[in-house]
Amino acid sequence: MPLLDRLPTKARASAADRAPASPVRGKSPQGASAQARLALALAAGKAASKTSKVLGFGGGTSFPGRVARWVDPGVLQKVTAASDLRSVVVTGSNGKTTTCRILAALADAGGLEVVQNRSGSNLLQGVISAALLGADLRGRLEAQLLLLEIDELVLSKVIPDLQPDTFVVTNIFRDQLDRFGELYSMARDIESVIEGLPASATVVLNGDDPLVASFAPAARAKRMYFGIRDDRPGSQLPEHAADTIRCVQCQHPLTYRAVHVSHLGDYECPECGNARPALDVAVTAIQPSQRTGSEITVETPAGTFSLHVPLAGMHNVYNAAAALAGATTLELPQPLEPSDARRAIDGVRPAFGRLEEIRAGDRRVMLAFVKNPTSYNTTMREVLRQPGRKHILAAHSNTVVDGEDFAWLWDVELEQLVPQMASLTVSGTRAEEVALRFKYAGADPATMQVIPDRAAALDMALAGTPSAEPLCVFAGYTPMRELRNVMQHRGWVPPFWKE
Amino acid sequence: MAQAPVVRVCYLYPRLLSVAGDRGNLFALLQRCAWRGIEYTVTEADVGEVPDFAQADIVLLHGGQDREMTAAARDMAAKAAPLRDAIENDAVVLAVCAGYQLLSHYYAPVSGPAIQGIGVLDAFTEGGQKRFIGHVAVECSLSPGQRHQLAGFENHSGRTWLGKSAEPLGRVIAGNGNNGEDGTEGARYREVYATYLHGPVLPKNPWLADHLLARALARRYQDFGPLAPLPDHTESQAQVAALRLARHQASGWRSAAAAISRFALQRPAPVSASGRQYDEMAGSPVGDKVDEVDPSVPDQRLEMPEPATSAEPR
Repeated sequence: MPLLDRLPTKARASAADRAPASPVRGKSPQGASAQARLALALAAGKAASKTSKVLGFGGGTSFPGRVARWVDPGVLQKVTAASDLRSVVVTGSNGKTTTCRILAALADAGGLEVVQNRSGSNLLQGVISAALLGADLRGRLEAQLLLLEIDELVLSKVIPDLQPDTFVVTNIFRDQLDRFGELYSMARDIESVIEGLPASATVVLNGDDPLVASFAPAARAKRMYFGIRDDRPGSQLPEHAADTIRCVQCQHPLTYRAVHVSHLGDYECPECGNARPALDVAVTAIQPSQRTGSEITVETPAGTFSLHVPLAGMHNVYNAAAALAGATTLELPQPLEPSDARRAIDGVRPAFGRLEEIRAGDRRVMLAFVKNPTSYNTTMREVLRQPGRKHILAAHSNTVVDGEDFAWLWDVELEQLVPQMASLTVSGTRAEEVALRFKYAGADPATMQVIPDRAAALDMALAGTPSAEPLCVFAGYTPMRELRNVMQHRGWVPPFWKE
Repeated sequence: MAQAPVVRVCYLYPRLLSVAGDRGNLFALLQRCAWRGIEYTVTEADVGEVPDFAQADIVLLHGGQDREMTAAARDMAAKAAPLRDAIENDAVVLAVCAGYQLLSHYYAPVSGPAIQGIGVLDAFTEGGQKRFIGHVAVECSLSPGQRHQLAGFENHSGRTWLGKSAEPLGRVIAGNGNNGEDGTEGARYREVYATYLHGPVLPKNPWLADHLLARALARRYQDFGPLAPLPDHTESQAQVAALRLARHQASGWRSAAAAISRFALQRPAPVSASGRQYDEMAGSPVGDKVDEVDPSVPDQRLEMPEPATSAEPR
């Protein structure tokens, strides 16, 4: 941390950006000084990445971007302009990282070299880091595909520089309302991005999400909808955390023929007839796999695919469908054969912290990244499906990434988890808040351990977990990274940037 | 007591107005009844359903976004008369954010038509350009000689101004409250308690939850004594932490400079944006704990150079 803090990167970059003349600097990549500045920025960024790794600060997934942007605020635009590459941007509340992982595997199988911002580092610095680490000093990327997951918050700043060829929206759930203001103003931001895309671009939308499907109907870009057309696994009633259960057109409550995750499903408005659009990429059959995950059949314009999604849960079926839809928009050097696609997706491992199974000495840890009611409920249900008592470590911190407002914890169905709980440890800078939520969900405060320090909490939680039973960790982004770092130092997990 | 007491909760728009964890207020009321062996019932009433407000002891009306609020306002027309009667008969009402605005005269957003409320509270709301998002600390004195602190999280663009016949729920210590200018937060009328505070507000301010329960029980059962005390350690820890966040958030460089000069001059702190002098936390049960910073709690706020919104200026 000390090195990061001493560098005046943020202050300098901010000052440069506030100046109204900054586009002039950003948009003259031909000039010799601009070229030198870019080279300097890229060199500085690359050096920062090396330093960060050597000094053990982490993978350097966002720090290099900060440094490079400090040297040259127009670095992202120049890199994409200097390279002849296609770009795919994935945004939405949930499933960005997993969708990108699957999409990268598919693009790779199709013969495209991919540069992406991995590790969920999806704020602006992370995006720039990804681009600059793959580029040479003249700003040219050797890869043919720039695949970026981008946080809704920075979307409108990154898109004008990027001009993505394919823009994927996974879903919109309530997600850190204190950062985004209201749900609909965030939706409007995404909508204006879609409206700004040229006719040559393709926008890939979740047709099962009533809000996402309604985005920018008059936009020039080609539209493609993905979703699930198999009615068996869903139920009829959206769960509590459902966000968009009223018709976007007329506010009348929607009726669902099937609900698969939260408010995602086959909906129709009985009042105005607004209904789920025809799906271009449709999952038509879902079977639980003999191994982890699901066996699915997907119909696409490029043919029918039979796939094994090695990641558990219906939300990952959506992620696979989103990725496959995105892949069909790419001109792949080798057309994607069903068998290649199957092999590619089969090899995808969970993104770090997404219900990751970890051997912790003689114990077993399941590490889950939870950030909103939907991701929490979905992951919790996966955990509840497994037999045996549950040992829980729940950690949340208030940071820029995790937000300040944890009221959403009250929308999580923790009442289902508490009766099956054998032990509970809460942690993070908002440990008191988490403890309060669990108390009102029925947990006994007398047996609850409240340990704000993440490493100490992990030790205490493991000490209270018998070796035959797993410890389930539900954590926000920052505490999840911290807990994983502790486990990495103990040699239990590989560093996340090596995944 | 002649009959076992029952608290009848009427939960309005459980699906429509439910975006920021506000259902935690319901959980708080129910759990605090259950822990004391008090029976309760819950009646939910969504769009198109008019509950028997005369039978309700406590009515909950929560927050929602503009779109949902518009739908609720349209539906409130049918509920307005019986709800107004119940309020005039001292039914207890907790209204949060959009629910607060729905009980007032109107809410006029920056863009779009004004949304009419039922006008029980003498207050109106105009949209503002900058959204108020952040932790809030409020000091309340609901009955003479009693002072309590209220901690919560606000997220609203409306600026609410109180008329003559509504009094504020409390005074802002840190944060914005009703409008960020006059230092007021929320509104009170008879047994209506309206606030902008999410969090949700009742679990981490159990005194307010108990106040609502006590008033509801006293109204229906004249011989009902004081509520049995509960072990509220977890609640007060969460409240203290939230109050501390509200304080730290208020301490930008300007208030840091003010703090230094205060220290030098040994003067008490002024309160809120209006600069009004305030007798800080006197008599408050948690007041003296608020400034204590637990060294074992790494406070990330202090390490963060800037909040997310300004970290990447356009």
